[in-house]
Amino acid sequence: MTADPSQTPAPTAGATTADLTLDPEVAAADVPPALVAGSLGQYVRASWLQVRSGNSGVLPVVLGLVVVAIAFQIANSKFLSAQNLVNLLEQSTVYMLLAMAEIFALLLGEIDLSVGLVMGLGSVVVAELVQPSGANWPWWAAIIVTLLACAGVGAIQGTLVARLRMPSFIVTLGGLLIMEGVAIIVLGGSLVGIGNTQYGNENALYDIFYGSFTPVVGWVLLVVLVAAAGAGMWLRDARKRRRGLVAAPRSLTVLKIALIAVAGAAVVVVCNINRAHSGVIEGIPYILPIVLIVLGACTVLLQRTRFGRYVYAIGGSAEAAQRAGVRLASIRTWCFVLASVISGIAGVLFASWQVSLTTNIIKASNTYVLLAVAAAVIGGTSLFGGRGKTIHGVLGGLVIGGIYNGLYLLGVSSQWIEVLVAAVLLTAALIDVLSRRGAPDRT
Amino acid sequence: MTADPGETKAGTAGAGTTDLTLDATVAAADVPPAILAQSLGQYMRSWWLRVRSGNSGVLPVVLAMVLVAVVFEIVTPEHAFLRPSNLVYIFGLSTVYMVLAMAETLVLLLAEVDLSVGAVALIGGVIAFKLVQQPGPNWPWWLAVLASLAICGAIGALQGSLTALLRVPSFVATLAGFLLFSGVLIIVLGGADTTVSLNTAVENQNIIYDMVQGLIPPVVAWIILAVVVVAAAASQWLRLAARRRRGLSTPPLSLIAIRIGLMAVLGAAVVIVCSVNRGSSLRSVTGIPWVIPIVLVLCAAWTLVLQRTRFGRYMYATGGNPEAARRAGINIAAIRIWAFGLCSATAALGGILLGSFFYGEYSSNTADPGQLVLYTVAAAVIGGVSLFGGRGKAVHGVLGGLLIGGIAYGVSLLNLGSLSTPLQYILPGGVLLVAVLIDVSSRRGAVA
Repeated sequence: MTADPSQTPAPTAGATTADLTLDPEVAAADVPPALVAGSLGQYVRASWLQVRSGNSGVLPVVLGLVVVAIAFQIANSKFLSAQNLVNLLEQSTVYMLLAMAEIFALLLGEIDLSVGLVMGLGSVVVAELVQPSGANWPWWAAIIVTLLACAGVGAIQGTLVARLRMPSFIVTLGGLLIMEGVAIIVLGGSLVGIGNTQYGNENALYDIFYGSFTPVVGWVLLVVLVAAAGAGMWLRDARKRRRGLVAAPRSLTVLKIALIAVAGAAVVVVCNINRAHSGVIEGIPYILPIVLIVLGACTVLLQRTRFGRYVYAIGGSAEAAQRAGVRLASIRTWCFVLASVISGIAGVLFASWQVSLTTNIIKASNTYVLLAVAAAVIGGTSLFGGRGKTIHGVLGGLVIGGIYNGLYLLGVSSQWIEVLVAAVLLTAALIDVLSRRGAPDRT
Repeated sequence: MTADPGETKAGTAGAGTTDLTLDATVAAADVPPAILAQSLGQYMRSWWLRVRSGNSGVLPVVLAMVLVAVVFEIVTPEHAFLRPSNLVYIFGLSTVYMVLAMAETLVLLLAEVDLSVGAVALIGGVIAFKLVQQPGPNWPWWLAVLASLAICGAIGALQGSLTALLRVPSFVATLAGFLLFSGVLIIVLGGADTTVSLNTAVENQNIIYDMVQGLIPPVVAWIILAVVVVAAAASQWLRLAARRRRGLSTPPLSLIAIRIGLMAVLGAAVVIVCSVNRGSSLRSVTGIPWVIPIVLVLCAAWTLVLQRTRFGRYMYATGGNPEAARRAGINIAAIRIWAFGLCSATAALGGILLGSFFYGEYSSNTADPGQLVLYTVAAAVIGGVSLFGGRGKAVHGVLGGLLIGGIAYGVSLLNLGSLSTPLQYILPGGVLLVAVLIDVSSRRGAVA
């Protein structure tokens, strides 16, 4: 490898064809910087090249997060208090999960407008199944059956989209109407709650949102996480080098691990501060690892498996993917199934969060789909398919949660919050459209 | 021109190119039967050919309406669905869906979608209601209505510009619009708990109240019907004569007679139904609600614009194939912006009628904008408007809206009058999916 950045792309990036190498800038912008860089300095330069060419990744949303944090902190000094930060994290989890669900549809260039109501349906099903006076199932069985039911919903919608080629937005529009009705039927016209702590199964569901690890367990988890992530990244790079493949510079890997450790430590420290008005509530809420596990699983699925590569291939160009032998219908159907399952996980959280569910809460769950799309797009996922990662959903969900939380702290009424979220969604969509224009045309 | 239907297509359809005429069936399916047919029999045959090739027009929705009417008449308690009082109520209930579906049709014709129509309609209604308040602006009703239409038209044009000029996908631009205007609605209303109501004692406000609630006496209704039928017959006759004079192909006379006859019979049926006393023996309520002629006039206006003007032809051209339309010199960006603007303006009228239907009261609970837009898209597609652009008419919106309203009311009858039952969601959702399925498969069957 040479040290000259303008030369490195062609010889090192194995996938680049003769066509792409005609313009080194375009080629560089198309290849992950980790692959072309020999040193940290080169990596930074290559990243900047990517950002400039419209492939900005998480940069805008991270900047957005900083702006949101600073602005609200100035407006209300409570915003960045430990108590509120944990609160904000908890509130954002539902947005994060739904956004991750939506990303599976968006990556294909489709949309799933039903994620909000799949969540609503899931929450009702799981709550009904643990009722001592009713089904009285163990909580884990209730969750599994709920996720299976949601998977079924996704399979039906996905089949209509993938096999019959009905437009996804209309299938999921009709689907959400039907599910609204089904959810109300399951609810049985009355209120269902999981707040009775004397029943173990209800209590287990309740604790998903409101329970926390003890501070010590939080630190142990962090150490395990950092060690596992670090070892994984390090070993992968080592294996690549052994086989003579291009690997990211060691300094970059060390930096990434350190960043994870610092960020994780910050979260643990903040969460371990006592946040109760009276008594003691401290430690990492259970939902945080849940979101991280979903994030990890989806990231591995999309970035490291053949299925994931096929998803990006279809989103980039369905025609090309089909000619390359990808079975479009089955990949598309699976994406809708995954979107619905993740929405089902959000539904379990939602049930836990709301504690008691009513018809009105189910109807309100529909509005979450807008926030999910907004979170995904704000996070950096393209509406046109083929571009986006699950981490975008998490970051975008955090922005949405931050805006809601911050405006709520300021006492702004809900209608103005809606207006602001709409403006943010529009801005994100505009950035997406404009950056797609600026990017090299690969079709 | 020969009498053989297999040969007439190529000869008469001026636009048919050699490619299309290779397959006579395909060509026939692409040309309105009225242009091809020389006799009623031929007309029926070519119409059937069109239906079979997936271009079924209003047939499915009319069949669905008959089905819905029969089923609900059988299953509702006391077989009450088809009572005159219920039929009149269904029309009032459906008004907002009919008008919004006509609005949505304008956008669907371009293969775009407007998810903000519900919120925009409610804003339009609230604006008009606010402007006629007596301690307040106290504008004349027509000015208030015009202002509401203009403001909403501007809103629509703005969203249309995002789609037309910046190429933001319309469902995202209008999704954001939906969120934005749901918020703005509450702000315009002046808070979530506020109610704006019309004072029926004030003549100026009473006119808006009467748009749905007001009644035309049966005698006047008969006279209006007679005038409309005669006028329609005369205009059809004059058009026929003009076409014949210029040597153009003309639909068979018997067809026109049947159409006018059908119109007279349907009109008479509506007037008869509305003339039955819907009140009690003590206080009789008879007559046609103003909203029926209002919706019909609106439908006629949009039909004229879409079928008989250059703008309408450009709409279909842009929806059918934007690239071809652009190369033909059509300013497709302008067409798109106009379509979104007109859609929102029409929606505003729907919002005003909605407030009138709810006895002149507007609150944040009057209607859920999200629910409205779902029903609206469902109504348009169920009515026969294609989601893929280039296919649909204003009348499809009217019929689809009526069907959605009929289902909504029938379900509420089953549930002892409550308008909030699970079936309320499931039935429209199911019907929507079936309608799209038909749309998708008919597009496959049709000429590419």
